[in-house]
Amino acid sequence: MGQQLLNAIFIGSIYALFAVGYTLVFGILDILNLAHSAVFMLGAALTYSLVVNHGQSFLVACVLGVAVAALMGLVIEHVCLRPLRRRHAPPIAALISTIGLALVIVAAIEQGRPDTIFSWLWVDGANSVSFPASAVPNPTWHVAGLTLEASKVAIIPISIFLMLVLGFVMRYTQVGRGLRAVAENPRAAQLMGLNVDRMISLTLIISSALGGLAGILFGVALGDISPYIGRDNVEVRGLAVIVLGGMGSIPGAVAGGYLLGLIEVIALVTIGSNARAGVAFAALFLMLVLRPQGLFGAQVREKV
Amino acid sequence: MKGVRLVSLLAAAILIAACGSSTGSSSGKVIKLGAILSITGAGGVYGPQSRDGMKLAEKQINAAGGVNGAKIQLTINDDASDKAQASQLAQKLIQQEQDLALLGPTLSNSAVGAHPLAEGLKTPILAVSTTGIHIVPDCNFPATAPCKYVFRDSLGEETAIPANIKSYAEDSHPKTGVLLVAQDDKFSSDGGQIVQNTVAKYNINLLKTIKFNKAEADLSPYVTQAVQLKPDVIFITSLGGIPAKIMTEARKQNWTGQFLGGNGFNTSTVSTQAGASGKGARSASAWYLGNTFPSNADFVTAFKAEFNKDPDQFSAQGYSAIKILADAAGRANLSFSDLAGDREKLRAAMETVDIQTPLGPFQFTASHDVKQTVWIIAMDGQGGFSLVHEIKAS
Repeated sequence: MGQQLLNAIFIGSIYALFAVGYTLVFGILDILNLAHSAVFMLGAALTYSLVVNHGQSFLVACVLGVAVAALMGLVIEHVCLRPLRRRHAPPIAALISTIGLALVIVAAIEQGRPDTIFSWLWVDGANSVSFPASAVPNPTWHVAGLTLEASKVAIIPISIFLMLVLGFVMRYTQVGRGLRAVAENPRAAQLMGLNVDRMISLTLIISSALGGLAGILFGVALGDISPYIGRDNVEVRGLAVIVLGGMGSIPGAVAGGYLLGLIEVIALVTIGSNARAGVAFAALFLMLVLRPQGLFGAQVREKV
Repeated sequence: MKGVRLVSLLAAAILIAACGSSTGSSSGKVIKLGAILSITGAGGVYGPQSRDGMKLAEKQINAAGGVNGAKIQLTINDDASDKAQASQLAQKLIQQEQDLALLGPTLSNSAVGAHPLAEGLKTPILAVSTTGIHIVPDCNFPATAPCKYVFRDSLGEETAIPANIKSYAEDSHPKTGVLLVAQDDKFSSDGGQIVQNTVAKYNINLLKTIKFNKAEADLSPYVTQAVQLKPDVIFITSLGGIPAKIMTEARKQNWTGQFLGGNGFNTSTVSTQAGASGKGARSASAWYLGNTFPSNADFVTAFKAEFNKDPDQFSAQGYSAIKILADAAGRANLSFSDLAGDREKLRAAMETVDIQTPLGPFQFTASHDVKQTVWIIAMDGQGGFSLVHEIKAS
């Protein structure tokens, strides 16, 4: 069971990091950014390409990967969200436009083969690849019957540190106060002199940078990078995580991430391996029925 | 002046016709073949190998004057390991491209869609790597009527997996095993079913069957579960990079037992990905690199010269497939004007194929399947394989 608990914590950290970005946008804009899983994938894919096809060191590639993911946040805002906001389109329109962007990003990577216009970005088409051991060393230790892999162990402090930083920024800094003000009431925030558009752009930059980083960590630790890692592994699970934790709540997303990792492993051990994939949905469903506001969400009173 | 031009044109025409007839009666004609392969996606470790084998055979046959003078024109179409895309491609190749015959698709999962389609449209389709249950003779899953137009030159898992388990049981007498199987893929789940049906016969106690989904990136919890049961053998029936990932993870977790698998192991890509973790992993193969009979030795030499790498089982089956179709087309007396009639003639001719291939002497059984020697091979830890046993067709 010890090894399974470790497995749960490793994957839970990735779920949490991914979901924090997801929930941040929801908390502030009341919009589900469904391009988030594509940004997750893009971060991993780009970092891989930089290391393997462009001969960059892993660290440089990581920094560039996160930077491009952050830039994608700006693209999401300017292409998918802002034009619709200007027209007072309903949230469902933004949801659909982000799905559209996600499909475009995935398709672009999928088309990346040698001698295509996307070959600078990706050359492995729909294939799954992993970092070569020479570029990203991954020593393994055996301690007290447990197997510890460097790449997986590293995820835990990195995730927790980043989530703490985000929590601190949101709570104690001027920027955080601004973001929370926009979340509370964008119109009032604007009247108070806040530049709401800039705050929203900033939200998407932070969210996407975290998403991209989660993708990189995922790619390194699990040795699986393909155009579909976002869609297949975190898109729906991320949704389950933020529902579990409470839509829009950052501590909720963190707790939800670890909780889902744990639930999946417990399901695997107790019910059987084929239960693991479905258990995220069961948890999501139960939470929606029993406690719709999630673990950390406040009871929402509809204003009349 | 006009008369002179006409005469010279006529002369040229006669000359061309004469040249043509010297190389064969179908000179200037084209035999269009369409291959549906998984160049990318989960099957992307197999499709390119089949493609290279096919391309080599096409090149050799055309260089030697074609099939009675007709050139083979082979197109490679990537289904991205996607079932729906494989069916769409089959439809396009049969109806729009008007190909004489089809090859593929790479994965059994995709064959479920593409094969009944070809059967319905009366177009011969030769499977080159599909090894699941019910590929031949009954392609109309789950109906069991024999299909007239579906053939395969790949060794079915119903033959290969039991042969592999039997040979290992005789060598090492394992007591316990755990099965890791991808449940959402026909090839993998068929393989799992065959393992489950076979182990008892050799007194192996299957402690647990662990099912997972093929898109799942995080396989560690499944592997942990398997390793903690301390089995003598881990059976893996899955494809693409998954067997290699499972082997790597299990070895990291200090498990030292034996891996046994199916056709999913039989490519150098998987052996390379598994590296040292895969050393000794055994599977039954339709082909072995080191075989020295001429039809294989020549193929291996030509393949190395063309692609600067060793062929694998999938290359050998792809290469053999084009040779089989060329042989059948050569004997079918094709009209090149009546496509439906030509497809029917080709189908009939395929049933009587009897040629030497890298797989050995090749014939189809009455149910359009392959009957051949089975080679038990083991990964050598460096991306290749070594021969363990040879099991003659019974």
